[in-house]
Amino acid sequence: MSTAVLAAPFQAVFDANSQEFSLAGVIRPRSVDEIAYSITEFRRAIDEARGVLYINVKRLAQMNNTAFHAFSRVVLDACRTRSDIRFVVVTSSVVGWTERMFHHLGKIEPQITVEVYDSKFYPGQSFVEDTSFIPILRAQTKMTWRHERTILPRHGMRPGIAMADICCGIGDFAVLAQKEFQPARIVALDHSKPSLAYARKVAAEFGVTGIEYTYGDASEMLLEDNQFDFVTCRHSLQVFNQPELLLKELYRIVKPGGRVYITNEKNSHCLGEPRAQSIQWTYNELARLLSHFEMDVELGPKSRRYLADAGFDDILVESFMITNLDGDPQDFADVIAGWEKMFAAMAARHGEAPKFIDRFRQGFRDHIFAALHPKGYAGWPIWAASGRKPL
Amino acid sequence: MNAAQRQPAEAKFEPLLQFEMEMGTFLSDWHHCDQLSNFMARMISHNRTDPVRHSNFFSSALNELLEVSFRGGSPEGRIGCSVFRQGPKERVRLSFPCSPTQRRFFGEAVARTHKGDAYARYLDAISTDLAPSREIVLLDLAINFDAEIRLEEDDPPSISIIVDLPLEGIVS
Repeated sequence: MSTAVLAAPFQAVFDANSQEFSLAGVIRPRSVDEIAYSITEFRRAIDEARGVLYINVKRLAQMNNTAFHAFSRVVLDACRTRSDIRFVVVTSSVVGWTERMFHHLGKIEPQITVEVYDSKFYPGQSFVEDTSFIPILRAQTKMTWRHERTILPRHGMRPGIAMADICCGIGDFAVLAQKEFQPARIVALDHSKPSLAYARKVAAEFGVTGIEYTYGDASEMLLEDNQFDFVTCRHSLQVFNQPELLLKELYRIVKPGGRVYITNEKNSHCLGEPRAQSIQWTYNELARLLSHFEMDVELGPKSRRYLADAGFDDILVESFMITNLDGDPQDFADVIAGWEKMFAAMAARHGEAPKFIDRFRQGFRDHIFAALHPKGYAGWPIWAASGRKPL
Repeated sequence: MNAAQRQPAEAKFEPLLQFEMEMGTFLSDWHHCDQLSNFMARMISHNRTDPVRHSNFFSSALNELLEVSFRGGSPEGRIGCSVFRQGPKERVRLSFPCSPTQRRFFGEAVARTHKGDAYARYLDAISTDLAPSREIVLLDLAINFDAEIRLEEDDPPSISIIVDLPLEGIVS
């Protein structure tokens, strides 16, 4: 049993600038007296608010009926005395019971509405969670694993540990990690239900048991503090618009002395010969395009700074190059073909001109040409980094 | 009702985990409700489809039940809690000693969870009551956790609340 979560206090914070009252953690008082201060703060927030007051329960892991009743009474009473104010309860789809419980308040008072915040919570989400990308993800993991299986032990991976793979996607990395390193426990979390369903199906078909696949929001995880010896988060900081928020959560769940391992790219450094110029142009443009979706696919070499800013020490950074010579060049070509399709769609979504898109696509096709050319060379660089949570 | 008589009803439910402790010890610290519900939830959820979220849901429900026994139980005797599983459903059997008055109260409260006006009663209680009653806690389980609740009157002074929770379907 984790003692950390039992001792974890709850937080009740009012942000006057955003008119948001946030409740987080575990709130299970024996009597209302134990939460009297928070109730007073809630009343004060309502007094100060004009128009709409947001009640943020996204990170409310547990709340007993005593607390629910006490906070509900305050908001219901306010509805009866303040016709000028609306209340929006912001829940998370991850913590299902909050949506169910708070939903009733809207039945009692129409001034109260309940919103599920993470149905679309970062700009590139619809592309990242597109299930048609699954075969490409599998091929990518197959190619990166050739390198990572030797890299991971240098960053803290070893048998018998408790491990979490955050933003696990289709879960293939977790399966490979389990087979290779036999950790005692693996939790694999992602925000795409179709990807998790795929992961569970694959695990079942291959007789892999013991991986706890869980639906969750990496920036607001239900996982308890200080749980894991090793936390991985691969190719994800670069597609999320607030990477520092993700790192804060990764820091929270790893044990003191444990390590967080991240991988990220620097897309403009993708390369190939022949047709180097066309390839270079496309990947430079790709980095620019994705910045419009608040993705930083140039993040790889910034890993050291991000880890240091998040509070980690003993930071290790290394890079490796996936190439067409690693295995079957067709695997490399298939991945690039998948990129061409996805990124061309994003370019169209961004409103790029057809002429631009044609040239943009050509760079990917030239990368494929280089990969399959009998004397060609094609590369995709990745930065692997890890940091230790101080003791 | 003794264990032998209970057996047919639970024949299809697979036992997962149980604990027993002196009621006086249980009542010595309010945090036992939180600690036991979290621990048991984590243990029984490990092989559910989404262990983390199942555990969170199950802990919520079990904690409310343990709080009910904390508030309504008597200090003499033992408290016991067993968890069983059948398919997507967990069954919690919570037994604890309580006074005859409390036995009558629980009988009536459980009966009300089956009535057609359960949801209206629940909304009314949130809307008007100054503090949540133990009746509302049982309604909460029936409404928010789709729980089926019944009571078994063990040999006095004990009582058993049996709660079937179809959480796997809700979580997944």
